[in-house]
Amino acid sequence: MSIEFKDVRKAFSEKAVLDGVSFTVKSREILFILGKSGVGKSVTLKHVVGLLKPDAGEVHVDGVRVSSSDETVLAAVRRVCGMVFQHPALLDSLTVFENVAFGLRGTDIGPARIHERVIECLRLVHLDASILERKPIEISYGMQKRVSIARTLAPSPRYLLFDEPTTGLDPITTNAVNDLIHELSRSLGVTSVVVSHDMGSALRIADRILVLDEGTILALGDRREIRESHVPLIREFLSEVD
Amino acid sequence: MRFLVTFLHELGGLWLFFRDIARLSARNQKALRPLVMEQISQVAYRSMGTILFSGFFVGAILVIQFYLMLSKYDATSLLGGLSASATIREIGPLIISFLLAGKIGAYTAAEIGTMKVTEQIDAIRCLGTNPMEYLVVPRFLAIVVSSALLLFFGLLVGILGSVLVADSLYSVNALQFLESIPRFAGLWTLFGGLFKSLVYGTIVAAVSTFKGYTASGGAKGVGIAVTQCAVYTNLLITLANSFTSMMLDGFQGALSFFTGGHG
Repeated sequence: MSIEFKDVRKAFSEKAVLDGVSFTVKSREILFILGKSGVGKSVTLKHVVGLLKPDAGEVHVDGVRVSSSDETVLAAVRRVCGMVFQHPALLDSLTVFENVAFGLRGTDIGPARIHERVIECLRLVHLDASILERKPIEISYGMQKRVSIARTLAPSPRYLLFDEPTTGLDPITTNAVNDLIHELSRSLGVTSVVVSHDMGSALRIADRILVLDEGTILALGDRREIRESHVPLIREFLSEVD
Repeated sequence: MRFLVTFLHELGGLWLFFRDIARLSARNQKALRPLVMEQISQVAYRSMGTILFSGFFVGAILVIQFYLMLSKYDATSLLGGLSASATIREIGPLIISFLLAGKIGAYTAAEIGTMKVTEQIDAIRCLGTNPMEYLVVPRFLAIVVSSALLLFFGLLVGILGSVLVADSLYSVNALQFLESIPRFAGLWTLFGGLFKSLVYGTIVAAVSTFKGYTASGGAKGVGIAVTQCAVYTNLLITLANSFTSMMLDGFQGALSFFTGGHG
């Protein structure tokens, strides 16, 4: 049970964004993918759920080769890989309830159970049922982020993929979201991959940290190894925290 | 030259997109029906006022123009038939489709484009739903069906406008005006108007959903998509107007030939 990247290459307009990236995400760990803006962190994450296809190399999720699968196989992969986007990406025209229940459409789960599950997921992200009938525009940005996490949790995925979950949030809400990711990963026993440029968040909750730069992996190790690294870019990131 | 290459490239993409819509429209119609009905009500709600307002004045303007010409030849008894025929066959579908392009086409391109650049479409896909099936197909079908419905109401109000102007400005008796309509605007004219409005509606629906769905690059990208949607829609409708007019005239001629002049 893992996510595996094997020599993945991806270029946009001849600019190599990923240039031979290989790594494995261990079961039930929290892996942070760290790097400056535009180094391919989100691109890496989108390869896991087949939103992008590599130019070369392979991406595997639980042994399924995502990189060359058709939409039917990808739909099955997406059921086990929940993705939380950088923006909350809630559907504006739907209520909070309809947004959280969206991933349960077309399943054989009955309406009563869907209602229960929506409330369960909102509770997991520390929100209550009073916002069920509100539209996304009627709640704060921080709440929208939480609702988007609840929506991802509803179909009970085995993997949680977070794309810049704390971007645009104040330090207090950032810590709250980080703690939430940690709490969810541990209590639900899921594997989490978090894309971020925030070393502080990584040092707070990551099991391992992968640093990307110029399309390649600069470092991959646990918090202690990264803290002790002498790589200039990593020292620069660490100096922001210290 | 560059514009032509871009235009042809876009046309190719539009064709492939249209083919996907046609394939998905035929699939899972039961699930599509409520989504399409909801979109039809949205389109009708948003554009009915504009269509009725403009329809009234289209009818009124055509009467004024035809009266100026017909009065020179003392043929004002033909006023109702000629203005109704022109409204149903030509000006009505054209004006209504231009309005639909401005009102619904731009709205649809902006709505889908915004969903694209804010990753809502990716989120839908990640939650196991095909965004083409959930977002694009219902909007596409709703715009096509609505264009025919809106044409019907627009024409009714247009004829009302023309009767009122003919009666109040030129003292043409309303009954005499209405009686002359069937002489020039028969079933074939009605069919022609409906056919044209469906073709133009399809163009508005396909271009707006296509430009929205392929938008990229944030707010600026959505702005570009909406502008291109307006330009391409108007260009394609103008082109389609020439082709459909020629096609319908040719078909009517052939029909007359085979039925001995009763087509």
